[in-house]
Amino acid sequence: MNRVLCMLLFLSPAVIFAGDVEVEGAWIRAVPPSSKATAAFMTLVNRSEKPVLVTGGTSPVAGEIKPMITTKQGDGVMGMGFVESFSVPAKGRRVLEPGGDHIMLMKLREVPGAGSVVPLVLTTESGGKTGHIRLEIPVR
Amino acid sequence: MARTRHSDARSRRIGLILFAACAVVAVPALIVLFSMAGNSSSPWFGQYDAETHPAFDFSLADQDGKPFRLQDLRGQAVLLSFGFTRCPNICPTTLGHLAAVYRKLPPSAQERTKVVFISVDERDSPASLKEYVPFFNDRFIGLTGTPADLGTTARAYGASFRKAPAVGSDMGDYMIDHSTYTYLIDPEGNLRVLYRFEQLPETGRIADDVLRVLGTRASGRQP
Repeated sequence: MNRVLCMLLFLSPAVIFAGDVEVEGAWIRAVPPSSKATAAFMTLVNRSEKPVLVTGGTSPVAGEIKPMITTKQGDGVMGMGFVESFSVPAKGRRVLEPGGDHIMLMKLREVPGAGSVVPLVLTTESGGKTGHIRLEIPVR
Repeated sequence: MARTRHSDARSRRIGLILFAACAVVAVPALIVLFSMAGNSSSPWFGQYDAETHPAFDFSLADQDGKPFRLQDLRGQAVLLSFGFTRCPNICPTTLGHLAAVYRKLPPSAQERTKVVFISVDERDSPASLKEYVPFFNDRFIGLTGTPADLGTTARAYGASFRKAPAVGSDMGDYMIDHSTYTYLIDPEGNLRVLYRFEQLPETGRIADDVLRVLGTRASGRQP
């Protein structure tokens, strides 16, 4: 029963409306099987009149999911740092892309292979309310 | 009829506005692009160094633990980048693009091209590189070495790296901020072309540069 519920929960279309935030073109990077982490990329589109924060997420494949930014320090040096949240401006969008900001999947329970699909629930906050965006993200 | 004329005039007007807008955006964009290339007549996609500078001949260990020197690759083009295997974003992006560059080369050029990834993380071993680098292409070479040798090598290429605390995560004690340039070394061992991270998605143009250092670029494309 639980499995059926879980499956229903994650059977969602490619473009997801979760109240005010729509997620476009989400994908997870296929990484070597020895990897301890991977990253999810997507465009977050906020249809609402209020900013929405993406604070993290949950997934069966990862023990910890956090928003992470990429910093450029001149001379081609890049680094990464965790942030509390990504803010998606009211009526605006935020692009998470390779070499830039991303959703970091850590403590991988299994390393998802290319061609698989990973269920992932993003946690959002807007106007003091917590929300969830349920995604089915292809790995490539 | 009047309505149609009106809408024709309007679409012409919109067309003009769009054309003007494109010109306003495109002209400065082209100027920026050419000035970034340094020389608008340069056939090279990356930043090309016309002077001959021998690339530093590092002496490190490959993913099988065997000694490996750059000199071992004389006669071949080398695409070199620095990183670390716990790197979940920049390094896989870089190696993914370099794998695409490699796939775009004809087999004869692949035989004469090596992609080399040097880990600047002392936690990496030949074994961890062996699990990581072949994932992108089983012909790619992963190298590591003593902290002193890695430091010397990185400095010689103008690359830099430093440990950065990974607060509140499972990324180990630290991550590494590192240079994200990719270097193209010619078959004579000279450092020829530098690519910024943002240029790497242009895999076809990088493949053209590789063919050019191999001397197999079609003559029609030469300056």
